[in-house]
Amino acid sequence: MPIERIFSGILGIVSLGLLYLCWSYVAPIAYDPLGPRPYPALLLLLLILCCFYLVIRPKKLAELLNLGLSRTILKKVGLLMLFMLIYATTFELLGFPIATALMFFLVGPLFGGSLKASLATGIVFGCLLYGLFDYVLDVPLPLGLFN
Amino acid sequence: MDVFEYLMYGFQVALTPQNLLIALIGAFIGTIVGLLPGLGPINGVALLLPFAYALGLPPESALILLASVYLGCEYGGRISAILINVPGDAAAIMSTIDGYPLAKQGKAGIALSLSAMSSFIGSIIAIVGIILFAPLLAKWAIVFGPAEYFVLMVFALTCLSGLVSDQPVKTAVSALIGLLLATVGVDAVTGVYRFTFNSVSLSDGIQFTTIVIGFFSISEILIMLEQTAIGQKALGQGKRSLFNLKEFTFTLGSTIRSSFLGFIVGILPGAGATIASALAYTSERKLAGKDSKFGEGDLRGIAAPEAANNASACGSFIPMLTLGVPGSGTTAVMLGALTLYNITPGPQLFTEQPTIVWGLIASLFIASALLLFMNISLVRYFAKLLSVPNFILLPAIAAVSFVGVYAIHSTIFDLILMVVLGIFGYILRKLNFPLSALILGFVLGGLMESSLRRALSISHGELFILFDGYITKVLWIMAGIMIVLPLIRWLRSKRQRS
Repeated sequence: MPIERIFSGILGIVSLGLLYLCWSYVAPIAYDPLGPRPYPALLLLLLILCCFYLVIRPKKLAELLNLGLSRTILKKVGLLMLFMLIYATTFELLGFPIATALMFFLVGPLFGGSLKASLATGIVFGCLLYGLFDYVLDVPLPLGLFN
Repeated sequence: MDVFEYLMYGFQVALTPQNLLIALIGAFIGTIVGLLPGLGPINGVALLLPFAYALGLPPESALILLASVYLGCEYGGRISAILINVPGDAAAIMSTIDGYPLAKQGKAGIALSLSAMSSFIGSIIAIVGIILFAPLLAKWAIVFGPAEYFVLMVFALTCLSGLVSDQPVKTAVSALIGLLLATVGVDAVTGVYRFTFNSVSLSDGIQFTTIVIGFFSISEILIMLEQTAIGQKALGQGKRSLFNLKEFTFTLGSTIRSSFLGFIVGILPGAGATIASALAYTSERKLAGKDSKFGEGDLRGIAAPEAANNASACGSFIPMLTLGVPGSGTTAVMLGALTLYNITPGPQLFTEQPTIVWGLIASLFIASALLLFMNISLVRYFAKLLSVPNFILLPAIAAVSFVGVYAIHSTIFDLILMVVLGIFGYILRKLNFPLSALILGFVLGGLMESSLRRALSISHGELFILFDGYITKVLWIMAGIMIVLPLIRWLRSKRQRS
């Protein structure tokens, strides 16, 4: 599968970069014989070797992957990733109840909900979960705009 | 104190009103998480772990909660497998083969109650196994020094490649990523910052909850976008909702054999309930012969995998409690829970923390009994949850995941990192890199490095210490076998094909 080779190649290059970074990890005073560098360096070397193998291994040894990703699903997955990032960044800014209602409103339609139903469940869950965690379970959550 | 006295002490801990209530809540939540297609024990335990910590539960109560969720999931997975032909978790895949045909024949009630009973028998046999073998293994493992520990962890990680996966190199990549993620932060010995990219938030390392929820909850939500299993109509329970004595005795042999098999598989590091149930099903099918109804609705076909997956779940506590090496992905998360409480798992746990160890073992008994009762009497209500639409369920899981990560340090950085790790986890899963190996690597990473460095400090930097003594030699040989095993399997299958 070319996608597997591409991913392994990228992972291998990133590992190579990290290995370069790791080379500067030297303690000013030697506290133990090994120091902070060899262990991560060894792991990165092994990772680079494994990635290299995955890039060059013959096709008959590679597994058949069925990614099952159509253009529509890819678009949905991309949107969901974006919405999750929006939820993370607005969590404190807007506060839990509003950010959660917004997340339900955006994410719900991707899972087959109507806009109206997603918004309604978002408002209900935003308030319900805030009450449950903040008041009942004593897990403090941000109120954001309500503060 | 002997084992019996310790066990009685464990029951004293587990039967306190607080712990009893926690076991009940854990069993209930576990069954629900287990029955929802796509969500398995590792997701359930990962979701509840930060709350157990943030709520300030004592370590034994937190472990009781997580263990009850784990067992509950193994029970719950069969409900959707039987009623809608979609396994609730990976360990219940085998239960669909005979479970759904039984439901179509109007015998769903019998299949559900009988599989709950076989799950219970599997759990009890494995818990007795824990009581008999865990203290012995802990006593033996007390002689382990840092060198032995390092080699033991190498063995545990090679086990993943050798036993679990048909793609050993991909498993190795996952484990190495996990080990590397564990090196992020300030090096405890020298104070050197590693892979922190000048970020203050990374100087303490990546939080365990951020890793677990990112990889197992966020990536799961992304995966579930491609599936629409939830929201399906479940089949009815049929005329009878309870098995009779004839049906019970018909399956008893399969149940007991599969329980022992599951228990042994559970003890092996890395090999979890999914492998146990598959092995139990195939061996029972072979034993039953060609005249059996396996695949068309044989009761043994549902009893065997269910007994095995529960026995395996309980068995996987043995390496976790005695050696500090998890027997499954889920116990790896539970091991992380112990480290959140600054408790170092290992053989000393039995002597230094008897409240935790024996309280946990006793609570496994109690959780099993609660689950048997719940899964026979309340199954029709649990089944109703299968009709909850995805547009409510999945955003709710996302919200709870975010709260879980936020509850630990209250920083946005952790939330963003969790989403980024979730996206990375999604890509890994799509390309079939096993995430259980990654989490095992992350959990073992810190201890593995510190064991190596302590061992080399003792030997003044000489590597011979890693090969000195019979324990290290045996462990190296076993690790070698695990590395060679996939190669032998590949050569054998190649010969069969030709």
